[in-house]
Amino acid sequence: MMIRERPIFLVEDNDDDAELAVMAFHRAKITNPLIRARDGVEALDYLFGRGEHGGRDVSDLPAVALLDLQLPKLSGLEVLKAIRADDRTKHLPIIILTSSNEDKDRLSAYDQFANSYVLKPVDYDQFVATVLQLGLYWMVLNAPPPRKEI
Amino acid sequence: MILLSARAGEESTVEGLEAGADDYLAKPFSARELLARVRTHLELARVRREWAIELEQANKELEAFSYSVSHDLRAPLRSIDAFSKALLDEYGEKLDERACHYLDRIRAGTQRMSALINDLLNLSRMTRTPLRKESISLTELARGVVAELHTREPSRNVAIEIADGLSARGDKRLITIALVNLLGNAWKYTAKRPETQIAFGRENKGNEAVFYVRDNGAGFDMAYAGKLFAPFQRLHLDSEFEGTGIGLATVQRIISRHGGRIWTEAAVDEGATFFFTLGDMR
Repeated sequence: MMIRERPIFLVEDNDDDAELAVMAFHRAKITNPLIRARDGVEALDYLFGRGEHGGRDVSDLPAVALLDLQLPKLSGLEVLKAIRADDRTKHLPIIILTSSNEDKDRLSAYDQFANSYVLKPVDYDQFVATVLQLGLYWMVLNAPPPRKEI
Repeated sequence: MILLSARAGEESTVEGLEAGADDYLAKPFSARELLARVRTHLELARVRREWAIELEQANKELEAFSYSVSHDLRAPLRSIDAFSKALLDEYGEKLDERACHYLDRIRAGTQRMSALINDLLNLSRMTRTPLRKESISLTELARGVVAELHTREPSRNVAIEIADGLSARGDKRLITIALVNLLGNAWKYTAKRPETQIAFGRENKGNEAVFYVRDNGAGFDMAYAGKLFAPFQRLHLDSEFEGTGIGLATVQRIISRHGGRIWTEAAVDEGATFFFTLGDMR
């Protein structure tokens, strides 16, 4: 029997950062498929099966979402809020992956029930190390919420 | 608030103003004088309100600016560093030594810029965070900082003297940052001495407590002392002692927010002493 690996959902507007994340996942030997949204609206369209993702099986949740805070249209915090407010997605593990070390960003992320808050290091070696740790923890160690019966 | 009182004389006027009145008018007073004063105060209040609004606007802009710096300047740096690293890793075999050297220089540059951005953000945070004063033991804070320096470089031969019972009123987080910088500098600039000597203590000048951090390190020429506390100013080459030139600017900002002063005495190769006060000790 083939068990399809659940995808990693990357919400990132910066193409360079997205490519670097892919490279880092590759290096860390994390083979889950990667799905990317470029802004907050696209992220919610994917998760809620709307717009260009209309008809997508919404119960098919990613293993984890990596969410940038600074996003066009809807900010990362607004996306987080919408995900937590919807029964279909409220248990999705969400890691805020951002350059911001501002207290107020960290506070509002946890206020909106982010599972984790991780700083994007500028140094690429540290970035790869960070992605490796994230991958190990969220893909291997962490037990995800059970699939909902619909 | 304008006090209207039958008590005339300089003594009562001063007493009234010290109690918090904005103005004092002794009875009997003329209606015209009262009107004129009220008008003046209304005008002053209006100007103050305008200033407050402008100040708030400026603070908001500063905050937005820092925020943008933290996000937007870091992203391209990460790209530069990461793609240089990828070139080295994936194509290193095809590149000659000089090409690899150039890539290494690019990466060193990005790391330096990244450190600058972090320090700059910390500096602006020093100005923005509200001050929470409490009674703190400087002795304890300094011991913690020194212990941390020790763990990072356990092999250094050091003699450190921290006076007992140094205390002050201040914001613990900010004062800790100031001590990290001052003691960290003392530690850094004594690195080339056979024995590092650092002292943290207090002198009493009049009824004011003056704290000091003294070292036997590289020191500097007092002719340049004025530049020391300005951001990005350095008196040493990076190749001699690493640094971004933000540390003492940060310290000065912290001290001045506490209503204190900071100054220094030093000579080339004869060490440096940094003195500071922390304003009202009540």
